[in-house]
Amino acid sequence: MSGEIEFLLAALRTATPLAFVALGVLLAERAGVLLMGVEGVMLVGAFAGVLGAVITGDPWLGVGWGVAAGLVGGLVLAVLTVWLPADQVVMGLAFNIGCAGITSFAFRLTASSTQKLTPVLALPEWLAPGTLVVVPPLAWLAVAFGAGTWFFLQRTGPGLILRSSGHSTYAARAAGIDVRAVRAAALAAAGALGGLGGAALTVGWVRSFNDEITLGRGFIALAAVYFARWRPGWTLLACLLFGAGEAAAFRAQGLGGNPHLYLMVPYILTLLVVAMTGRARAPQEAGRPYLGA
Amino acid sequence: MTLAAVLRGERGRAGARAVWVNAAILALCLAVSLGVLAGLSLAVGQSVAPVFAALGQGAVGSPQALASTVREAVPIALGGLAFLVPLRAGFFNIGGQGQLEIGALAGLLVALHLPAPPGVAIPLAMLAAALAGAAAAVPALALKVSRGASEVTTTIMLNFAIVEFVLAMVTGPLKDPAVFFSSTRAVPEAMRLPGGDIHLGVWLALVIAIAMFWVLRRTVFGFELEAVGGNAPAAAASGIRVTRVLVIAVLLAAAIAGVAGGIQALGVVHRVAEGWSKPWGFVGILAGLLGGNALGVVPAALLLAMLETGGRHMQAMTGVPAALVYLLQSLPVILYLALRATPFARRLTAEGARA
Repeated sequence: MSGEIEFLLAALRTATPLAFVALGVLLAERAGVLLMGVEGVMLVGAFAGVLGAVITGDPWLGVGWGVAAGLVGGLVLAVLTVWLPADQVVMGLAFNIGCAGITSFAFRLTASSTQKLTPVLALPEWLAPGTLVVVPPLAWLAVAFGAGTWFFLQRTGPGLILRSSGHSTYAARAAGIDVRAVRAAALAAAGALGGLGGAALTVGWVRSFNDEITLGRGFIALAAVYFARWRPGWTLLACLLFGAGEAAAFRAQGLGGNPHLYLMVPYILTLLVVAMTGRARAPQEAGRPYLGA
Repeated sequence: MTLAAVLRGERGRAGARAVWVNAAILALCLAVSLGVLAGLSLAVGQSVAPVFAALGQGAVGSPQALASTVREAVPIALGGLAFLVPLRAGFFNIGGQGQLEIGALAGLLVALHLPAPPGVAIPLAMLAAALAGAAAAVPALALKVSRGASEVTTTIMLNFAIVEFVLAMVTGPLKDPAVFFSSTRAVPEAMRLPGGDIHLGVWLALVIAIAMFWVLRRTVFGFELEAVGGNAPAAAASGIRVTRVLVIAVLLAAAIAGVAGGIQALGVVHRVAEGWSKPWGFVGILAGLLGGNALGVVPAALLLAMLETGGRHMQAMTGVPAALVYLLQSLPVILYLALRATPFARRLTAEGARA
């Protein structure tokens, strides 16, 4: 297999977890909630995915565990930042630290099983014939979810309701929308997607868990959303770009240059895009707690 | 004048009762968190008493333990101040970690390369750390002021960019060829912060905390800061230069984070290496939230540091994983913020939405 194709596959592998997490961030922010707890949600999904895959012996069930754990994390964030609501930013950051503690603790408790490699996640032969089998199976799902997110947000009624809660809570409320419920639902979906992204990282790629294995990838996904100015299609492309950056970092020795300089690229690019566009396209209400009438 | 009256009135009305309500909530949160630790100890098959004994032993059980707790509290407290000072003006400085790391690198470089006696070089190293920390906040400030970009996003992006940059430096041009791991050269003995276990940086941090308390409570600048945070348009209408106040507050805060890095580099670790830092900037944010004001950050940081040093001892003595520390550090803060956000607590303390 030629080097270019290998590189592209590596970029797909690194981009896939980012894509799910980023779509989750996008949904939450379009509904008006800053998902600062994204790293924690992803970490929880990453651990639960490995735990599920090892216990059940089925990697796809492991992915399901990851989604479920992420969903629970999203609901916890919904209680904290929508239902109460406490500040979205500081709660998210504290949530991340707490999740790092919980997952590391649980990892040690279950070390006898979770230190094993998980079974390989692969599509059945009839679904991915021939050479397609080398493409990470979840990458297909990520593309489908990206398209689905675009369709949901731009072409459906519930999507309009979600966007309106992020754009103007006053208008949404005047139109009879229960902003809290919309935001809680968006956070639940975002949590599930974040958990899926975490499981895609562990079960779908490295096949094991380690302390803080997400290494800031949740925030790279966040950067991808800002980079893409909250548009689903562009978000996927941004994830592919940032994934390629990470893949390039792995090959930095061969390419010349320090891998850490490659890893700076997503953040610098995002800062540049923010510099060019300001908050012009951001969901207006993102970050503001909704206190009701 | 009117603005002053409004602000005073707010403070007076919330006043003493708010302090007691917050203290009661805080005590409750700590109790619940320790209860969670007890439960988890039982879950891993340890009885509760030895776990707590080990935690206390490691945190404050001996002069050495106490000293290491105090040392650990320094970057947390300064990280808390770096978060808290701009928060008064409504600016979320999440960038403390990056400001701290670049400050550490700058301070270390001066200590390594400046051919001057320690009495000159150490203060200059601290100054370099402060300047580097402040410089690290400039992009976020510029984007906030000129483009209205959310500082939450930009300071987070800067954090990661700086951490990767520091790693690129210590694995690349600044790597000490004499050691097998990726690290800068070590600060020579003479250039380290004097004072032994309780080094000079501890006192420096304490002075900074007291000074910040005074600045926020007793100076015109502190008043302006509060006015900007409370209602920026009203502050502007009453003649306060909002942008200027914001810029000073953020640069000051980032400089404090930078100094924290300088203190760690020159006083504790003596090298900047791969994986040299703990998430002091982020735990500092927890300290800022728990402490609530510039002086409250000090006991809050000590508490979080006690969990850190005690947690390590707890793992060594009882086998309960120290990984729990992050949970024990964040849980009281999450509970505290959550309880304070309830309508009941809001009514008692007459506080707004933001934490």
